Amino acid sequence: MLWKESYEIGVPLIDAQHKELFRRVELFLQVLRSEVCWDEKVQKVNETLEFMKGYVVEHFRDEEEYQQSIGYPGYEAHKQLHTGMVEYVLEFSKKYEQSNNDEQLIQQFGGKLLAWLINHVAAEDQRIADYAKKKG
Amino acid sequence: MKDILYKAFFDATQNAFKLMLNILEVSDHPAGDFKCDDEVDIAIGVTGDLQGKVIYRYPVSTSLNIVNIMSGMQFDAVDAFVTSAVSEIANIISGNVLTALSENDMNCDILPPEQCKLDDDKKYDINTSCHIRTAIGEICLEIRLNRA
Ligand SMILES: [Fe+2]
Ligand SMILES: [Fe+2]
Repeated sequence: MLWKESYEIGVPLIDAQHKELFRRVELFLQVLRSEVCWDEKVQKVNETLEFMKGYVVEHFRDEEEYQQSIGYPGYEAHKQLHTGMVEYVLEFSKKYEQSNNDEQLIQQFGGKLLAWLINHVAAEDQRIADYAKKKG
Repeated sequence: MKDILYKAFFDATQNAFKLMLNILEVSDHPAGDFKCDDEVDIAIGVTGDLQGKVIYRYPVSTSLNIVNIMSGMQFDAVDAFVTSAVSEIANIISGNVLTALSENDMNCDILPPEQCKLDDDKKYDINTSCHIRTAIGEICLEIRLNRA
């Protein structure tokens, strides 16, 4: 499993959302990297992409609300990271649709998504937990 | 300035390997010891108070090890997925360096990662290599920057 316990930040809603995000990304990668031909995987890939577009936005909103509720000082900067990712996903989706579901493009997307998500949850989101702990 | 940048890039790389890959054995070595024939080179352009680029040289084996760890899957060749994943890591490390520098009143921005060639006939005030060895392979960062 891609998810690691060390990623937990101690807020049940956020942790559950992170776990679900990792689970979905893992499923997405399994389909994306499977040996079957592109025509066979394209539908599943597109479904996951659509799900992610909605779920990521929902998670970012909930996490930002939590940050505000504890007065997290890095809120503005963190929100910018979220906004940057949403913009990237939307831009990518448009390009991908226009390309008529080009496989190279979505392989690129998969690589970036994986690295981005791991870093974001393991490094950036952890800072929220560090602050909450320090604040007590 | 050269030493500050070298250390900032080394620290950010060490930190990324620790947090993203759980690799704790990371050390720096003389640049001349880095030898690699088959590598993925990713450039991150820098603008602002410093201008130029940093090239991340990932040997193929290091790139594959990184992606295997992150994905929990087996990758045997460098493709669009692998290139994009290691490009994002270059982007993350560079972004963290710039955040650290901005705390010292040095304001820069970075450009999106691009695959690149190593050679470059421009002259740079700061031109240094950071050769890093880790438990899953080496990488080398070519730091090529001018003061604005
Ligand atoms: Fe998050
Ligand atoms: Fe976040």
